[in-house]
Amino acid sequence: MEDEEESLSSNPINGGTQSESLDRARQKKHVAMLERLASRHQTRLENSLKSAETDSSSSSTLGFESTSSFLSRFADSRRSIEAQIAQCRLTNPSESTQLKPQLDSISASISDLEKLVAENSYFLPSYEVRSSLKAISDLKQGLESLSSDLVPKKKFSFKNKAPKKEREKDPSIETNREKEKEAEIGKPEKMSFRVLESPGFRDKKGEVLVRRFSGSEIGEFTISDLDSCEVRLMGCVRALFVHRLRNCRIYGGPVMGSILIEQVEGCVFVMASHQIRIHHAKATDFYLRVRSRPIIEDSSGVRFAPYCLSYEGIHGDLQEASVGEETGNWANVDDFRWLRAVQSPNWSILPESERIGLINISNSDNEAEEI
Amino acid sequence: MGLLSIIRKIKKKEKEMRILMVGLDNSGKTTIVLKINGEDTSVISPTLGFNIKTITYHKYTLNIWDVGGQKTIRSYWRNYFEQTDGLVWVVDSSDLRRLDDCKMELDNLLKEERLSGASLLVLANKQDIKGALTPKEIAKVLNLEAMDSTRHWRIVGCSAYTGDGLLEGFDWLVQDIASRIYVLD
Repeated sequence: MEDEEESLSSNPINGGTQSESLDRARQKKHVAMLERLASRHQTRLENSLKSAETDSSSSSTLGFESTSSFLSRFADSRRSIEAQIAQCRLTNPSESTQLKPQLDSISASISDLEKLVAENSYFLPSYEVRSSLKAISDLKQGLESLSSDLVPKKKFSFKNKAPKKEREKDPSIETNREKEKEAEIGKPEKMSFRVLESPGFRDKKGEVLVRRFSGSEIGEFTISDLDSCEVRLMGCVRALFVHRLRNCRIYGGPVMGSILIEQVEGCVFVMASHQIRIHHAKATDFYLRVRSRPIIEDSSGVRFAPYCLSYEGIHGDLQEASVGEETGNWANVDDFRWLRAVQSPNWSILPESERIGLINISNSDNEAEEI
Repeated sequence: MGLLSIIRKIKKKEKEMRILMVGLDNSGKTTIVLKINGEDTSVISPTLGFNIKTITYHKYTLNIWDVGGQKTIRSYWRNYFEQTDGLVWVVDSSDLRRLDDCKMELDNLLKEERLSGASLLVLANKQDIKGALTPKEIAKVLNLEAMDSTRHWRIVGCSAYTGDGLLEGFDWLVQDIASRIYVLD
């Protein structure tokens, strides 16, 4: 506040150097300004006196940027709020007409106190800021518990909690009911899925399944429930879903989006993609080219090697799917069941001596040739 | 009045929104966030843990928490529930087989008390893939109409690959949160 007054007192001197005609209006302004500042100064003095009265022990002059003065002011307000809360608790809840304004005024003083901390936080040691904020949150909690104790229940709806308690009391009935509900909802939906089934190979045993994708039918493709089959996919596809395979060999052209593999055992996959996720795989070899890191989850005995597929036009397809270049990511496997720095025991790099050679699936009538 | 008004005042000052992105793995959460932010989406690894993006959207600051969706780490979603203003549930509309899982996880999420006040945006992603279910079909499968009437929700079809529908969805979400939190005095 001293700065303000200094700059003010220097103003008339500057004004004196100006021409007389401008001066009159200016002087009027100055006078008005002086009056305003004087009244502000007065109120400030009163305020500081007041706070000095309430706390006789503190040094009565309140300088700015002083931690001790802040702390004493903070402690005063805090004590007065606590006193108000305590008083509220003592008053009979039946006098609830006065209660609401009382609670409101307490909450207003708490927010004032919060403001005080915020305004002074720039010079306070961080410990003081933290402890003040803690004190404020304690006050808020006190107020909250006070109002929940005193204010009629309907204003504070605990509707969400009530049914939860019931459920906790009687879990068996509730979960059964939920299961029934889910079953009811689930049935008609599953029926509609069957109708909507996406293109794919399903429920086959001991067959060679070949599919050549052309530009017009780029979409998703599903391979599921196969046993001892060989699958050859040529051309680009947007997404590939693989589910429940045993002893299969899957040779695939590039997938532009992601591949999701679940529940496979004793298989060999040769695939290229943007993303690959492998869940519940056992004893399976993957020959991959991936733009990002492949991941495995709940898998064991899976081994990885680089992509090794060939068919007529594969280079164009790989370019189109942005997997034209080897990224080396086939070896950067993340195991979500092994979040440690040491190598996961669930996967390994396939030793070069055990890898298959380049697979050519161009001639789709015969068995895939290993070159 | 009271605590709520104080919270509102603080939030109003910051104009910040906390948005939680969740959904099954492979639904495209990270791709959506990067696409909105105008970043390269060609190389994205499955999220191990979480990503935070702070995006200025109109006059608001969005803190988007993109949390990995692999089964193993779904149990950690709850660590991110606190103080969530907006919930984005991302669905892979082409993954028909796992829609049951998707519905179950969403139902569990919506039971969560800490998320009870959050606006819900369901993004039916991958609409660009041939054979994907439409937003209407997804809404039916997830039984969204049966949701608690106090919940603000909306489903929007989108493609993180092309970017279609993303702004429509986030426009609604941000407007809805803004009208809820930053109520004019």
